[in-house]
Amino acid sequence: MYKYKASKETGSKSWVLQRITGLALVVLMIGHYILMHYQPESGHTYQAVLTRMQFSWYRIIDLTFITLGMYHGLNGIWNIFRDYKLKPWAKISVQSALIILGIAFTVWGFNIIFSIPYVGGFSAK
Amino acid sequence: MEKDTVKENTYHNIKTFDQKGWIRENLDYKKDSGSWAWIFHRITGIALIAYLFLHVYSLSPLTQGEVAFNNKMQSFSSPFFMLVEWFLFAFVLFHSLNGIRIVIVDWADGAKYHKQLYTLSWIIGIILFLAMGAIMFSHEIKNLF
Repeated sequence: MYKYKASKETGSKSWVLQRITGLALVVLMIGHYILMHYQPESGHTYQAVLTRMQFSWYRIIDLTFITLGMYHGLNGIWNIFRDYKLKPWAKISVQSALIILGIAFTVWGFNIIFSIPYVGGFSAK
Repeated sequence: MEKDTVKENTYHNIKTFDQKGWIRENLDYKKDSGSWAWIFHRITGIALIAYLFLHVYSLSPLTQGEVAFNNKMQSFSSPFFMLVEWFLFAFVLFHSLNGIRIVIVDWADGAKYHKQLYTLSWIIGIILFLAMGAIMFSHEIKNLF
């Protein structure tokens, strides 16, 4: 009788989450593209970023975007590795590498958003 | 005891996935639209997470103030980078539309018409890709005529 011994996790939670985060990312992506690319110049100067970042809700959307994107992307990469029956040590190495990479870049992204100052004169907080 | 050996022998007759020749095996596999969707979804997915890392890195000059950031953005506004950005959008489009197709197949009985959904996602994708090109290169297009 064949038994899968490597893990008791069936992966069903990550399967559901992958779909939910995917759908959320599609919605966020539509907003991102409309806002950033409705004309060639829109939104790519420091002033434009600064103006947008005066709205806290915009910061919250960006933070959500990067968190969901990192989770969905790295979980996707992990799903690819899962197709190739890794040895336990390889599994742990790959998983740790992905988690460290994900946390590092998410923190970096958060840091960038938080470093943008709230400037006086705007009352849009 | 005897039963066990018989059972073991039957397993030898089953063709299992050959891990050593997996590239050959994948290439030889007869591919229909679903297989291509799977392959493209993987390729675009890997490219998009790689781009997300690059995206965080490329926006990092925001912490160094206006001059540093605008210089960085200036370097991304060359025609070459705009072309790359346009094709990045193609990757985003395929992964998004095929992702929606996957969710429909999984949650809304889409397995009955997944081939039509695949065709539809290509049609919508190509239309949106061309529309984006028209927006991104509107200045260049205006100069042409």
